[in-house]
Amino acid sequence: MWNTIITSLPELLSAMIQYTIPLALLSFLFGLILAVLTALIKFIKPSENKALKYPWLVLRAIASFYVWLFRSTPLLVQLFIIFFGLPNAGIQLDPFIAATIGFSLNTGAYASETIRSALMSVPQDQWDAAYTLNFSTTQTLNKIILPQAIRIALPPLSNSFIGLVKDTSLASSITILEMFQVSQQMTAKNFEPLLMYSLVAALYAIICSILTLLQHYLEKRTNKYVKGSAA
Amino acid sequence: MISLKHINKSYEGKTVLNDISVDFPAGKTTVILGPSGSGKSTLLRSIDLLVRPESGSVEFPNLTYDYSKPISKKDSFSLRQKTSMVFQNWNLFPNLTVLKNITTAPMTVLGQSKAEAEKHAKELIKRVGLAGLEERYPSQLSGGQQQRISICRALAMNPEYILLDEPTSALDPELETQVLRILEELCKQGQSMVIVTHNMDFARLVSDKIVFIEDGTKVYDGDTKDFFENPTPRIKDFLSGISIDPTVEEK
Repeated sequence: MWNTIITSLPELLSAMIQYTIPLALLSFLFGLILAVLTALIKFIKPSENKALKYPWLVLRAIASFYVWLFRSTPLLVQLFIIFFGLPNAGIQLDPFIAATIGFSLNTGAYASETIRSALMSVPQDQWDAAYTLNFSTTQTLNKIILPQAIRIALPPLSNSFIGLVKDTSLASSITILEMFQVSQQMTAKNFEPLLMYSLVAALYAIICSILTLLQHYLEKRTNKYVKGSAA
Repeated sequence: MISLKHINKSYEGKTVLNDISVDFPAGKTTVILGPSGSGKSTLLRSIDLLVRPESGSVEFPNLTYDYSKPISKKDSFSLRQKTSMVFQNWNLFPNLTVLKNITTAPMTVLGQSKAEAEKHAKELIKRVGLAGLEERYPSQLSGGQQQRISICRALAMNPEYILLDEPTSALDPELETQVLRILEELCKQGQSMVIVTHNMDFARLVSDKIVFIEDGTKVYDGDTKDFFENPTPRIKDFLSGISIDPTVEEK
């Protein structure tokens, strides 16, 4: 048994470093950017100024449609459409790029609702206080609202990130040689499914444990101003 | 002087302010009184555009803003420059230290240097008797301390007027006294203030002028002495309802 583990580990680890981790990191980064933008578009009320009001309403409609679309369809189907479907429309994507796009869009849709709820949870009083000091909306968001919202969004966003790490195993179905795909190939050779799949499960668990530790660290840092949670 | 003229405001069809016109003289303290839900806070907040009346105007010397017309960003900026609000629940920014609560706006909005803003902030903190608490977070302070810091935050923007919305209603009597002492001090220095309060003794002590509002309508607008010494039957009812000790009015 140990022998099998030792011989398969290098290949699994290299798949992890080459695909699983970059896929998760990049998709979470892009997804987060998309999520913040989408959340802000849905959160900020349209201005009174008519020249800005209608473009904003259009943006809002697009943002709502995007969130609806990616939350209402299965992730695996989304990946299939992007990788196997789009070539029919003349768009041929490299599997890694297709997967990154799919995971980013999916994560962005879910995380945008997390961020929007965190923004809503900062009391109106904070906006009033900022406005009376003559902060603009952008300044209020940057200095006052977002720092408070991030603290609230951190645990559910960590959920999304951990979920995403495990979801990258779906990329195996669009020809990417990520960790799970490699474990399947090895199983075909050594006929040790229990061992191989348990091993790959353990590797996912290790990545997610590191992320959990990171979450605790970040929570401690962002909680420093909250009563009763002195770091 | 700030003059509000013919202010009308309603929420979902219910009239909150009904054609209210009132002056707030510069260098003086005006106290707005009235039962809960009478519209006093709404009136105060409309000066700082936190509430937008449907009609009426706010006038400063050489400046008039009509609430019924769109107010440009530039105009709302110069309007808010003239006033700063202190809130019932102080509304300090929990993510910022005491010092940064006070310095962020002068640095961000007025473009002051860090050194300049911090020097001014430290002077203000000392003035309200809280020197040494600069690096604490609001959650580590008592309510009275937080309210004193929020007064510093308002003063740091060098407003012409400070607007105080029930500044001591959320405080116990001991903490309330700490805050009232500072307001009394500001009043003596000739700071222009508009205060919404339920503390009649304080209103009597500091105010130059009383505005009494009930059901969105102005009932009294005039001298403080007159208000307490020659009350109309309705005001008498209000005053005796508010103080448990019936002798307070005779003091």
